[in-house]
Amino acid sequence: MMNFSTFAHIQFLSTTSDINGTIMSWRNDVDKHFYLEKSNQKLRNENRWLRARLKQSNYQEERGKVLIDDTTYKRQYTYIPSTVINSTYDKRNNYMTIDVGSIHGIKQGDGVISTAGVVGVVHLVGKHYSLVKTVLSKDINFDVMMEKNGAFGLLKWDQKAPTTVQVIGISTDVYIKKWSKVVTRGGSGMFPKGIPVGIVSKNKKIEGKPLWDLNVKLATDFRSVQNVYVVKNNMLDEIRQMERSIPEDREEE
Amino acid sequence: MSQIPSIAIRFVLFAFIQVIILNNLELGWGVYAMLYPLFILMLPFEWGTVPLMIVSFFYGLSIDAFSNTFGLHASASVLMAYCRPAIFKVYAPRDGYENLDNMSVSSLGFNWLLSNYGTLLLIHHTWFFLLESFQLNEILLILRKVVLSVPLSFLISILVQFIFMRKRGG
Repeated sequence: MMNFSTFAHIQFLSTTSDINGTIMSWRNDVDKHFYLEKSNQKLRNENRWLRARLKQSNYQEERGKVLIDDTTYKRQYTYIPSTVINSTYDKRNNYMTIDVGSIHGIKQGDGVISTAGVVGVVHLVGKHYSLVKTVLSKDINFDVMMEKNGAFGLLKWDQKAPTTVQVIGISTDVYIKKWSKVVTRGGSGMFPKGIPVGIVSKNKKIEGKPLWDLNVKLATDFRSVQNVYVVKNNMLDEIRQMERSIPEDREEE
Repeated sequence: MSQIPSIAIRFVLFAFIQVIILNNLELGWGVYAMLYPLFILMLPFEWGTVPLMIVSFFYGLSIDAFSNTFGLHASASVLMAYCRPAIFKVYAPRDGYENLDNMSVSSLGFNWLLSNYGTLLLIHHTWFFLLESFQLNEILLILRKVVLSVPLSFLISILVQFIFMRKRGG
């Protein structure tokens, strides 16, 4: 469902090229100081949350029982931290340039998340820089779902505000409460399941159609995002291979 | 040929102001201040349409490279360059453009700039925002962007002219 430009040479005409990327990172060296406190606060919050999930911070209730063997879990997602060196939020399609590239193993189509929630998808990859298409874009079409009941729809952006996106395609059969959480569905293998997207800020029914017209307030504040992680799915090839083996739908007689 | 250095200086200067400062100036409501069309306006008057369009194309492309717009600016610049000779002819001063070697406020007057540059900016911005959205059902948003951005771009262009171009032209 994601469309990528197939022209590899277009990459040098964007901020992912080494020269442009370097100039943008100079600019960001000045710019980032204005966001230091906010960035630190966000990272501290995330650390607090992560520390709470460490094994050491869990009280072992049932002594003597065998601990969960680590080999039962295989690492599926790895996260590559990076800094945003250039970004926009009020154009029709908004991109951000991050300071990791193909030498760090970034590939086109990798998901990008911030400390708060979903950010976008890697669109172009240069040697040291890559370009992320944010959810504030015309045809972003992420598949998202309601955390509570699992109803899923597509993410869109109507460009009216950089804090709000839309979710379409959810049937009114399932009731959706205001302020309910929206998370990623993990369907395309770009993100793990359950990465926060935002909360529903408007729930209306589309007149004449059994569908919801939902506004979602984004968890990520695109006006001040500085630190992001690129999500690498180590089993993506396996998923893709499997999906390719699904026979195509044929019109039945 | 003596104009080449000053053209080159403007090329770099306007591009830098555009991509380092104006591209990061996000005022809300989709307002996007653009300074770089001033460069196309100030290209030598005697140039024909084709060299104008070629230079404008590469100028727009270099702005594109820094704003991740993949040819939007190049397209709008080429259109603006194409329209420039016609607009100049429509709003020509009474005694023509003789013995003018530079396009600037000081040599041509504010009214001339308002009518010529204003019209060209309007064409440029309308084309730019139309292509950016490429959806006619967003026409109100596009119009809002155009109406709000053109005056701001115009104002910034005049300020830049007064700050950097004072000595030339007069």
